[in-house]
Amino acid sequence: MINAYILTVVRPGQTEKAIKEMRKLENIEKISVVAGEYDIVIRVRVKSLGNLLKVTDKIQLIEGVKKTTTQVIEKELTL
Amino acid sequence: MKIRRKYLFYTLAFASAIIAAGVATIDAVISSFYIPNALVFSFSCFLVGTIISLLIILIFSIPINGKSLGSKIIDPSFKRLRLVRKEELKYHIPAGIGNAILTIGYLSLLSILGDPSTVLPFSQIVILYLVLIESITEKNIPTLSEIQSSVIVMFGAMLGSISLTGFINLESLAIVFLVINPAWVLFSIYQRKLKTMKIDRRPNDALNIRFWNVVFACLFTAIVVFIYDFIMDTGHFLGGITASIEHFEWVALTMGITFFSYVFYIRALGIGKASVTQAVRASTILFAIPFSLVLSYFNVIPPFSTDPVMILIKMIGTILVILGIVSFALTLIKAYVFISVKPGYPIEETMQKLWKIGGVTRVTVTAGYYDFIVKIRTRTLVKGYEKIIRKLEEIEAIKEYKWESVLKEWENI
Repeated sequence: MINAYILTVVRPGQTEKAIKEMRKLENIEKISVVAGEYDIVIRVRVKSLGNLLKVTDKIQLIEGVKKTTTQVIEKELTL
Repeated sequence: MKIRRKYLFYTLAFASAIIAAGVATIDAVISSFYIPNALVFSFSCFLVGTIISLLIILIFSIPINGKSLGSKIIDPSFKRLRLVRKEELKYHIPAGIGNAILTIGYLSLLSILGDPSTVLPFSQIVILYLVLIESITEKNIPTLSEIQSSVIVMFGAMLGSISLTGFINLESLAIVFLVINPAWVLFSIYQRKLKTMKIDRRPNDALNIRFWNVVFACLFTAIVVFIYDFIMDTGHFLGGITASIEHFEWVALTMGITFFSYVFYIRALGIGKASVTQAVRASTILFAIPFSLVLSYFNVIPPFSTDPVMILIKMIGTILVILGIVSFALTLIKAYVFISVKPGYPIEETMQKLWKIGGVTRVTVTAGYYDFIVKIRTRTLVKGYEKIIRKLEEIEAIKEYKWESVLKEWENI
């Protein structure tokens, strides 16, 4: 399995609408609305890099999404 | 379905609390009418509990459209019933000992007091033990608000535990402080450790944790009862087996419902801190009151006094518990920190340095624009600056970092 973070920038005023659409997508584990350079941090869990591309594509097609940066997880320590 | 992580946590913890109140009522009926001896009842609970839990987990292992029934409706991490892994044993053994002692203590208390609404609040004081232990084990020193909330919950639980008949029993207090609460701490901390473990690169599931906990608790209860029988020359071991057969339906009912109460509790533990989960679960004392009224109505326990002072004290206690829970819930700040590092510094070494910072709950090495994504949990922004930012700036390898506070969060359930 491949885990990744997709950092998303959304056009002003479109955040609520974009989240609503993101919540309908498959393979998404967590959606966090954040304050800072990015607007939404999405954690995805997919079977292959091909599937990651599909999820990223779907996110980019959501109305209001301006830019995405994908960070593929290589190693993790968690409580 | 994606719901806000906070709501998922509170839904699970409250569901667990409501079910626990219901279970305590059934236990009170069994203890009054069928199995009055606490040791016999405890052994019987785990014997029948092992069978019932096995049946439940086998049902939840049935695959439907490629996924197990349990993963669809209870815990997405669950695949099927599996054997305990070697790395889980060191946590299952103390959790099993904790559950065995806790159950014997709780059923002894129930046989002394009878009324679940006076028994349950006592055990909520365990929250203070948990806050203290978390501060040691989870590199997270409790904040003033955490201490305040814990104290509010503690006093609330103490007032709420006063019987409406005004009866206070010193023996029961000794059982609470010396037996139930330390055992609950052991049980709770190690169940949380099990839930936060990764099995086959997936989060550990609450169903297998609960099933194996009952199996280990059964084993330890059998040992305790056997030793007690040997020393005191009593027959509780055989009594437990006989009671399990004679009153199978009652014990199966209480253990079947308990299974779900604990599965929800374990899932909540995997999301929140053990002390916060315990604080929410403390609401069980509110839910126990209507159940106790039903028991009183059917003469299972003595009728309640209508003394207004006692009613007022009990109400103040329950209000304090709610206040403590709310203040716990409203004072948690989460953030992501995106980090880029300078070339020439080993990633593994930087990862360990980041992990050692208090309040860091997740360190992720990533390929992309940033080298690390760190998840932070803190009670206040001041603490976030003093304990986290200052430490980050001390790490030489870090080129730049960006702090992004989490405003709202949803999680797949």
